[in-house]
Amino acid sequence: MFRNYFKIAWRNLLKNKVYSFINIFGLAIGMAVTIMISLWIIDELSFNKFFKNYDQIAQVYQSQTFNGEIGTGQAQPRPLEFLLRQEYGDNFKHLSMSSWNNSMYLQYGDNTLSKRGNFMQEEAIDIFTPKIIKGEANGLKEKNSIMLSESTAKAIFGNEEPIGKVIKVNNQYDMVVTSVYEDLPTNTDLDLLEFIMPWKHYITTQSWIENAADSWGNNSFQMFVQIADNTTMVDVTNKILDSKKKANPNVAEFNPQIFLLPMKDWHLHSNFENGVQVGGRIENVWLFAIIGAFVLFLACINFMNLSTARSEKRAMEVGIRKAIGSNRKQLINQFLSESLLVVLFAFVVAIIIVLLSLNGFNNLASKQIDFPWSNIKFWSLSIVFILFTALVSGSYPALYLSSFRPIKVLKGTFKAGRFAALPRKVLVVTQFTVSIALIIGTLIVMSQIEYSKNRPIGYDKGGLIQIPVMSQEFNGKQDFMRNQFLASGGAIEMSTSSSPTTAIWSNRGGYTWEGKPEDFQEDFAWTEVSAEYVKSLGMKIIEGRDFSREFATDSNAVLVNRTAVEYMGITNPVGKFIRDEAEEDPEPSLQIIGVVEDVITQSPYEPVKQGLYVFDRDGNGNYYNLRLNPNKSVSENLNIIETTFKTHFPNLPFRYEFIDEQYAQKFAAEERVASLARVFTILAILISCLGLFGLASFVAEQRTKEIGVRKVLGATVSNLWMLLSKDFVKLVIIALLIATPLAFYMMSQWIQRFTYRTDISWWIFVAAGIGALIITLITVSFQSIKAALSNPTKSLRTE
Amino acid sequence: MLLQLEGIFKWVNTGGRRIFLLKDIDLEVEEGEFISIMGPSGSGKSTLLNVIGMLDGFNEGEYNFLNEPVHQLKEKHRANLYKEYIGFVFQAYHLIDDLTVYENIETPLLYKKMKSSERKALVADMLDRFNIVGKKDLFPSQLSGGQQQLVGIARALISKPKLILADEPTGNLNSKQSLEIMELFKQLNEEGVTIIQATHSETNASYGKRIIHLLDGARDDYNK
Repeated sequence: MFRNYFKIAWRNLLKNKVYSFINIFGLAIGMAVTIMISLWIIDELSFNKFFKNYDQIAQVYQSQTFNGEIGTGQAQPRPLEFLLRQEYGDNFKHLSMSSWNNSMYLQYGDNTLSKRGNFMQEEAIDIFTPKIIKGEANGLKEKNSIMLSESTAKAIFGNEEPIGKVIKVNNQYDMVVTSVYEDLPTNTDLDLLEFIMPWKHYITTQSWIENAADSWGNNSFQMFVQIADNTTMVDVTNKILDSKKKANPNVAEFNPQIFLLPMKDWHLHSNFENGVQVGGRIENVWLFAIIGAFVLFLACINFMNLSTARSEKRAMEVGIRKAIGSNRKQLINQFLSESLLVVLFAFVVAIIIVLLSLNGFNNLASKQIDFPWSNIKFWSLSIVFILFTALVSGSYPALYLSSFRPIKVLKGTFKAGRFAALPRKVLVVTQFTVSIALIIGTLIVMSQIEYSKNRPIGYDKGGLIQIPVMSQEFNGKQDFMRNQFLASGGAIEMSTSSSPTTAIWSNRGGYTWEGKPEDFQEDFAWTEVSAEYVKSLGMKIIEGRDFSREFATDSNAVLVNRTAVEYMGITNPVGKFIRDEAEEDPEPSLQIIGVVEDVITQSPYEPVKQGLYVFDRDGNGNYYNLRLNPNKSVSENLNIIETTFKTHFPNLPFRYEFIDEQYAQKFAAEERVASLARVFTILAILISCLGLFGLASFVAEQRTKEIGVRKVLGATVSNLWMLLSKDFVKLVIIALLIATPLAFYMMSQWIQRFTYRTDISWWIFVAAGIGALIITLITVSFQSIKAALSNPTKSLRTE
Repeated sequence: MLLQLEGIFKWVNTGGRRIFLLKDIDLEVEEGEFISIMGPSGSGKSTLLNVIGMLDGFNEGEYNFLNEPVHQLKEKHRANLYKEYIGFVFQAYHLIDDLTVYENIETPLLYKKMKSSERKALVADMLDRFNIVGKKDLFPSQLSGGQQQLVGIARALISKPKLILADEPTGNLNSKQSLEIMELFKQLNEEGVTIIQATHSETNASYGKRIIHLLDGARDDYNK
């Protein structure tokens, strides 16, 4: 029976090549999109599952309240470790402090590499269970040990045996390689661990870390835990929630809440807004899942439309089959098997499309997804997917076609009535509503990104590079190096800063000033800079003056940004003092010497944070900021700078970053969404147009006689073109009317998340509308002009 | 008795007026009969055949087929009944264009869920009997009208029906082809198949053992 069905389906496919192509190709695109989105979603959902203790691992988070705003983050004070171990130890199987992800120079022989890793406690190995390939199972026992990932070991030692070798770290410490572990997979959210060094070493490296052991206010460290077997994340969180507040009443005014963020939430649910978990990447997962479903649905609509449009041709067959004994169920089965066959073909084509475009998709989405050839789950899901698609696209045509009454059809009086085309029209409108809404959405996302990119950033980011100089070797050499660079001619200005130009690494409170309101919990972005910072970045002084080497008092001077002036609520800021509130051993008061224009250091979508630029008295900046010589090419400048650098630091690798590239990173996430959305929109339009093309050719065919008659009566080609195109244009206009408010509503919701946002302007809707109409006309005109040009005697003779 | 119609009325309402397609039809058909229905165009011949063949309903009256009250049966039951006992032959042959001769003949058996081996045997017999073995892989468009109708009849016969309903079976054929088809009907009838045909042609009608005249949807036998 099914063989018979398939045979007919196959012959039908061959006989109507254009329809078959549109059906199969359209469905294939839809399915390919869905498959790729599914692979993407599967990858997103697979994050961190690599860890054996996935269900029990958590990172300790902290929420604190400043001026009524609750801020949430990973940063913890060191005493919390002792508190949790002593008072709440039963709740944890393991607990480990960790540094932030640091970039360090690892030197072995002449080979120096910059690698990223963390300092962690021994128990981190029990928590994260990296697979040890060589050496000790736990390589963090000795203070001077270092564990290397497989690829790091390979990069440093090549084929030499790494265990027991001594590596010089940051040209300061000798560390012995104790173990080598397999690289962590890319789909984890744990910091990039190219090496792990012992926490007990870390706390001795710098005095402020050592001193932080009893400082509840110094939230500068990470903490990971594995909870005990007999408890749950929620239970533990409930127990430790107020632990910090109870242990240290001094910080109670910030209402610190200590809680666990389970590993299962790390990737998709790690955003907090005013202390409440509000999702995160999961929103993208949903967004793409919905887009994928829509694109597939659009392709299914094509199938439905083309199948029912051709119903008059199939009606006779239905009539005969019914007359010779077929019941409706059998006919439904027949049509469903036809759609199954088409979907099967489409699936094969879709797989080919996926294979061809997976590379590009990976680039676009910054993923490393391989095609899951050997994954049985994928293939069994594919079967479900094929059946589902066949059912969705085939059910309406099957029900419609099988409903014909045989005598009507066989008598030859069957004509699809005036209303038979209605569902088809509804489907076309649906298709174009989705397509137009996608166009509008994509345009708005793009214009928001464009708008934020054009936002004045407060400095000149072109021709500016930064060199990270976090090794102690650089200490105290900044003026010397500045002279060397300037003399070399590769740079025209250089400054140092404690944080990169595109980030805030330090925030400070504990200050007071004239007119400060009671109970004001101040929080400033804190950057320590050298005298030429403003000059080298090209920032603007809007009041007062810049730092100057000529005034010795400038070591206690501060530049504030425009926002800070408003934030502090002072008029005539220049000359005013900002005083340290600490009772014992206060730092000297800072005198405001000037106000600078706001500089975007954080999110380009958010207001600039109030910031203080203070003079770097120690001369231990973390970055050199170099303004390249505009009279030379960039590569020349870089060559000169590298040579100069290597002359004075021959053992250290020369690393640099372009500030404009760093700044562009801020848009990466949104641009990724935008470019994916763009691709999906184009595909959605393509699919809709394929369907429209098919329908137009069908209508032209159906009205051949009418066109002949009209031509004989004197209609011109343009009359006929209008006649045939009009109906479709009408549908697209209806779609436009539905899509516009829909897209407007959804995109206004979306754009709310950005504080600095563009207005949704009318031209976007006009552009989307005109675009959709032009695409429609082009698609339809091909068929309608062909029909209009045909010879009427021919078309009339066929009747 | 094969079937019995009693007081069958069928009408349509157009513009407030009721137009009768069938008016008070009584008809009894015994097994083995060969009946010709005659009448001018629009007299209701086809409608009557469709009603008998259960492709079309009626508004009033009773219809018993093999002692089953058709007017009371559910759609599904009725479909089973005609699938089992009735074969159709159409004026325009109504073969399925996309199927070969062999497959066209085979199709009714598929709907009876017959096994593949049985189907093969039956279709082979039928091809043999109608002398069209050589044409079994051709598509309808590659056959002459007479050959197509032959296939149509073969398809009607394949499920061994008790009753064949033929609506102007030779309407599209030339006289020589018509003669062949009518001879075939006669032969089939002699083998025991009940046949009811609708026709314009006196010659064809004369093959029937009984002739029924229709005019404007009503029996008109008494005037003849």
